[in-house]
Amino acid sequence: MGVIQVDGVRKSYGNVTAVNEMSFAVERGELYGFLGPNGAGKTSTIRMLTGQIRPDAGSIRVLETDPTTEPLETRRRVGILPEQQSPPSFLTPREYLEFVGEIRDLESERVNERTAVWAERLGFESKLETLHTDLSRGQQQKVMITQAFLHEPDVVFIDEPLANLDPLVQEQVKRYLVSYAAGDNAVFVSTHNIDVAEEICTRVGIVADGHIVTERTVNGDGTRAEESLLKVFVERVERADVRDTPSLGQLGASNR
Amino acid sequence: MTGAIGSRTATTWRLLAVLLREEWRLHTRLFGGWRFALFPVVIAALAVSATVALLETGTAEGTILAGLHTLALGFGLYSGTAGFAGSDMLENVFGRLSLLLSTSTTLPLSRTRLLGVFLIKDALFYAVAFVLPMALSNAVLVGASTTAPVAVGALWLSLTLSFAAGMALTVAAIAVRTRGTPTWAIAGVVGAGIVGLWLTDSLRDGWTLFVPLEGSLLGTVGLAVGTVLVGVVSLAVYDPTYGRPSRTAGDRFARLSETLPLGPDSALVSKTLLDLARSSGGVAKPFVSATILLALIAALVGVVDSITGIAPAPGIFFGGVLGLTAFTTYNWLTQFDSLEDYLAYPVSIDDVFRTKRIAFVLVGAPTVAVPYLAAVVWFETTLVDAVVGAVLLAGYALYYYGLTVYIAGFDPNEFLFDAVRFSLFTLGVAVALVPTLVAGFVVVPPTGTVALAVGLAGVGFGTAGVVLSSRAGPRWEKRYRANGERR
Repeated sequence: MGVIQVDGVRKSYGNVTAVNEMSFAVERGELYGFLGPNGAGKTSTIRMLTGQIRPDAGSIRVLETDPTTEPLETRRRVGILPEQQSPPSFLTPREYLEFVGEIRDLESERVNERTAVWAERLGFESKLETLHTDLSRGQQQKVMITQAFLHEPDVVFIDEPLANLDPLVQEQVKRYLVSYAAGDNAVFVSTHNIDVAEEICTRVGIVADGHIVTERTVNGDGTRAEESLLKVFVERVERADVRDTPSLGQLGASNR
Repeated sequence: MTGAIGSRTATTWRLLAVLLREEWRLHTRLFGGWRFALFPVVIAALAVSATVALLETGTAEGTILAGLHTLALGFGLYSGTAGFAGSDMLENVFGRLSLLLSTSTTLPLSRTRLLGVFLIKDALFYAVAFVLPMALSNAVLVGASTTAPVAVGALWLSLTLSFAAGMALTVAAIAVRTRGTPTWAIAGVVGAGIVGLWLTDSLRDGWTLFVPLEGSLLGTVGLAVGTVLVGVVSLAVYDPTYGRPSRTAGDRFARLSETLPLGPDSALVSKTLLDLARSSGGVAKPFVSATILLALIAALVGVVDSITGIAPAPGIFFGGVLGLTAFTTYNWLTQFDSLEDYLAYPVSIDDVFRTKRIAFVLVGAPTVAVPYLAAVVWFETTLVDAVVGAVLLAGYALYYYGLTVYIAGFDPNEFLFDAVRFSLFTLGVAVALVPTLVAGFVVVPPTGTVALAVGLAGVGFGTAGVVLSSRAGPRWEKRYRANGERR
């Protein structure tokens, strides 16, 4: 059984079905890419996996917890980097990470130590005393990445990990994610960025119309697989007839 | 040249039309079409029924008109803070609350013009959605006749002028602040002006200026011209590039969290308190809101006294009314976060509501205690009245808080335009406040029986407030987890 196990999950908002018969599993050591067009059901799935919302049907297990019935226990064990922009908090990054540490019952020495390591890794040491609301979007994203890994969880859920980061930091984050997953953890990355998924993920699930339309094992070491993930993505998504996604023909026309 | 001006004017009109359409769609999306469309109907029903009730209980027409203008002026002063919101939206601080304003950097329009049109849009929107239904009260005052529509129209213009004047005053204060004038200096000038009017015995005349329907034509024209001038000058003074440099702060979180004897709730409460203390205006914001309410109510009491010769028991009256600051205090405490922000951590929505309640008590107690003490000292109340009023104040503040949290969840400001929730809230407030105000006006000073009854009402409603606020967490958790939305 995977550390993340999803079977036949459904979720509707009124008469709109966001997630429909979603099933997949993620094992330890995997960096799983959750790839799909806008409105495919990616964010709803992450919110169900982390106990933020309740599925209408199906079952979910994350690290042997059921996020539907014990959401706090699930969130205690995992790390989450949400999709939405950081709140305009008036805490400094140092204070914010102390806050997260206290919520997660971490020793203050450990929080200080981890804060120092991450501030150096992502280059925000000089911003530790600046109010969060006055930081640039990129600096805020760095702080949010740090909070997701602060307690060194076995499973991390990340929605668009590289948003607003400069290329150097992007490289650092990508390398860290690969090494983190390799250390007997699991990293679940939701993204639109096919290149990033192809570069760092060990396996990719392509989502359209609320369910996985295909899964592909990718090299995850920066080398290209024989079958282009972009081609697979466009073909499978097009076959699913997703309204908001241009067809291959349209893509070709726009490229000319 | 003429062509350029004509083009700019046309662009401004188009901008105003688009902003109005955006405002309409925002509200209908938030609340659903009919719940928003019914909001003016609810206001009209409240205004008309309150006017009928006040007339039936012998209240003078002048008092009712003064009360309506007080409401319009107060709402205008409050709505002027849209200048802050508009300014924040120009900076895209809160994300895309308004698409047009948050994309200002890509539009070939000056930010001053954008903000100006934004504020005019707000003034027009509220003048129709809020002030016009209030003006229907005049139909009751003049009775069913052919002149009724004219009377309603006249009151609408009069109330709108009061509303616009209040809005212009707040925008002026914000504009001056963008030029680096400290908040305390602005508050000092306003305070000195009020004290000056009082010392020269001109407070009544100054107040009458904001009731154009009762004043002279010259005064009305003066108020209208003054409002336009203040608005135009404020926009000219407003510095659209205003922005504070990056602020730094020492590590206060750990110390505060250790100091608060709240166990696992300390972290969430500390975050709320620090966010409030460091946001624009700091911890003074709830006090300013309470002081505005106190000033408006005190002025109204003065006007009523001068017209009718009736003054209420100050303790009971101010205790009941000042409890309403619970709404604004809670609004400030939830201004800088949303439920979604907390769901990345192992905390429940119930935890978040519980800790907001603790923060509310910590901030709300001094916020209402200071203006209440000022009121009872100023109006020289009796000891019994002061003590009963204090019990009432604590109980009613808890009750209004519980009512707000239960009905509106984490978005106290937004529900004001939801007809269903607004009706529930108004009904809940009226159930407690109306009998209290009647008691406060009828039995002065309060007898032992009245004091006991009012005191017990304070305890009873306070208990109800605690129950409501403790049930709000599970209620909103259930809703959020089912729909992934705040409402």
